[in-house]
Amino acid sequence: MQASTRRNLILAIVPLLALAALLQARIDPTVADMNKGRKTPFAGLSTEFILGPLLGMQQAVAGLLWVRADEFFHEGDYDAILPMVRMVTWLDPHNLDVYITGAWHLAYNFTDSSERSDRRYIPAAQKLLEEGDANNSGVYDIAFELGWQNTDKIKDYLRANHWYKICAEKRKGMDERGELTQPVPMFVRHQLAHSYARLGRIDEAVAEWRKALLMSNELVRKDPKDYKSRNVRDSERHNLELTLKRKFSRYTHEIDWELDSELKQKDARGIDPVTGEPKLRDVYVFRKDSEIQTKREQYRLAGEVAPSMAIGQPRPPAIASKWETAFDVRPTFTADKVLELKGRFNIGDGARVTIRMHDEGWRPPQLDAFTFDLDQSVTLMQDQHSVRQGTWGRKIDMSKDPKMYSFKAPHYFLVFEFDPRTTSPFIHDRFGWSGEGMKDAKYLWEETEKDPPNRIIRKVYRISRAQVLRRSPITEADVFPTAQYMELQKPAKASASE
Amino acid sequence: MVTLSIAKQTLEDMLRRKILLILLIVAVAMIALGPSPGFLSPRESSAVLRSLGLAVILLAGLLITVLTGIQVIPTEIERRTVYTVLSKPVQRYEFVLGKFLGGLFTVFVMIASMGIVFLGVLRYQEGRFAPEMVQGVVMTFFQMTLLGALAIFFSTFATPVVNFFLSFGLFIVGNMSAVTESLLQNKNVATRVIAGAVHYAIPNFGNFNIQNKLIHPQVVIKDMNVFIMQNIAYALIYSAVLLLLAILVFDRREV
Repeated sequence: MQASTRRNLILAIVPLLALAALLQARIDPTVADMNKGRKTPFAGLSTEFILGPLLGMQQAVAGLLWVRADEFFHEGDYDAILPMVRMVTWLDPHNLDVYITGAWHLAYNFTDSSERSDRRYIPAAQKLLEEGDANNSGVYDIAFELGWQNTDKIKDYLRANHWYKICAEKRKGMDERGELTQPVPMFVRHQLAHSYARLGRIDEAVAEWRKALLMSNELVRKDPKDYKSRNVRDSERHNLELTLKRKFSRYTHEIDWELDSELKQKDARGIDPVTGEPKLRDVYVFRKDSEIQTKREQYRLAGEVAPSMAIGQPRPPAIASKWETAFDVRPTFTADKVLELKGRFNIGDGARVTIRMHDEGWRPPQLDAFTFDLDQSVTLMQDQHSVRQGTWGRKIDMSKDPKMYSFKAPHYFLVFEFDPRTTSPFIHDRFGWSGEGMKDAKYLWEETEKDPPNRIIRKVYRISRAQVLRRSPITEADVFPTAQYMELQKPAKASASE
Repeated sequence: MVTLSIAKQTLEDMLRRKILLILLIVAVAMIALGPSPGFLSPRESSAVLRSLGLAVILLAGLLITVLTGIQVIPTEIERRTVYTVLSKPVQRYEFVLGKFLGGLFTVFVMIASMGIVFLGVLRYQEGRFAPEMVQGVVMTFFQMTLLGALAIFFSTFATPVVNFFLSFGLFIVGNMSAVTESLLQNKNVATRVIAGAVHYAIPNFGNFNIQNKLIHPQVVIKDMNVFIMQNIAYALIYSAVLLLLAILVFDRREV
């Protein structure tokens, strides 16, 4: 090769390298975007798994790890799954199912010997989902799971509503071909409507059902043979009508549901789906004297003066006569760390009382980042029990699970509560969505900061470790002011161990 | 013309090598076994199948490319056939380019075979053709083009064993482009300078990894076609640099 050719070739290399560097600078932002949330290729991996990520096969290693994690799950080795979830999400931060399944696992599957969830994992489960959602903010899946976990497990309907709203308004779905679609599946909107109802914001729930119905009507109009959409539309119609009727029955005039079904058979129009008002001919009025007597008896039992009632007049709603629930409970430790509860609650069969016991210093933690490292010294127990014939009771044995209930703190709060927003529709029929028809001489607590305000029943004890170990009995002198307890429970920035 | 003749002869020679055929058969078998963990949910199952398929193509492609790249020139020197070739009216650059292209055709045949089987398995498992996965196979091919050029460059002055470790090592470093890119924002100036040098001077094999997008459709890339074209251009330009260097080194080499 001639010297000049050689020199020219060397000179050609320089601009080519510059061009390659320029291209690299153009490529980098897309790569960074695509790898959002991914950690270094070897983060947390054992040696046999390191080579794959180093060769650019993160997703394949993540897939294999996830297959292994599934095997652990079926073997019941739950502890082994958590580190794998962490590794898989680091290697492949776009694998939605790993976040969803991992968080479900954290929130639901760690239990004591009586199948009570270890609720200390819930903040970690939420944080894992939030991390997953931040890494996959284009689709609704993980945000929906956040909504669902807040609905089903935590019963924090305000947070659930927040996530469902994000899902419905800002996120996309994905069809079977992997194409991003909008609107998101209709069940997301249905959950949003349900969450409004759970918050006692019935007008917003009704508006959401109407919106969903409009959208489904449009889908059916476009494809009348789409039976999936038709079924969804029918459910929405049903739920809209039911919500309107419940609202009317609970807050305006009581509905005779039997009469309502008779009317429906004759005339399918029922309640006006736009206004929510019954038509003149469908007004639910007293038709017989016996109906008035029943209503008077309801007022008498509630210890309230009945308004004037006559045949042909609309019936007052159930919540108009506030019902004394006469809530109380006597907790006793019958053996070391074995709590026995005997309570009364005049509210109706099937209502559930929540029982919670935790360290005095514990409050709902707000994690900065996901971690599954728990402070095993924290004691946090939560259970529920149904009311039967005005009484309820439960034996809670915390002696068999020292990992969950270490009882290392000197003092504990023992909390009993009934939140009407978490209860069933037939209880709502008597007391309203927010406990409007409920009164209690001793333990009624009004959450005025909520909109609309919520009336809940809460009794709090502050007990010592000595009482847990039966050195002294629990008495009414241990009852702790609810207002003070609520002040202490305000969430604070905390580490995972708190 | 001479270059293509050498490339054709190299391709025929490589396709006769049992080791490459064994690699191909093993890879195809692994791809075909992909649907076996059928106990996962459909979405998880699809993600595992797609990621494993692309990983097998990458791994087999990597071994085939390195084994081809480190052998094509040293074998000719070892067998002394290079004397016969270079005594003919064949320029040294034609020899280097011919060997590179021959190796590249070999890699193409192998990756294409695996890609076809992979698409077939996906079609069987998911009940639909997945044309987007072709992008993954194409990106793997251009990634291997760059690696092949690197191996050819090293083969002009290093022994096959040294070449194997050099190529493999640089492939690993080049795959960590996400790490070097993140180090460009480091507070330490020295770290930034070193990371910058590594990031822009060493071939960035990590650029070609688009598995994220292919496995998880929710990952949105602003313009996928532009991104792919940028990467192909990057592979071609960087390969050209490496081939120029290979030609310059081989031109001065005593054979």
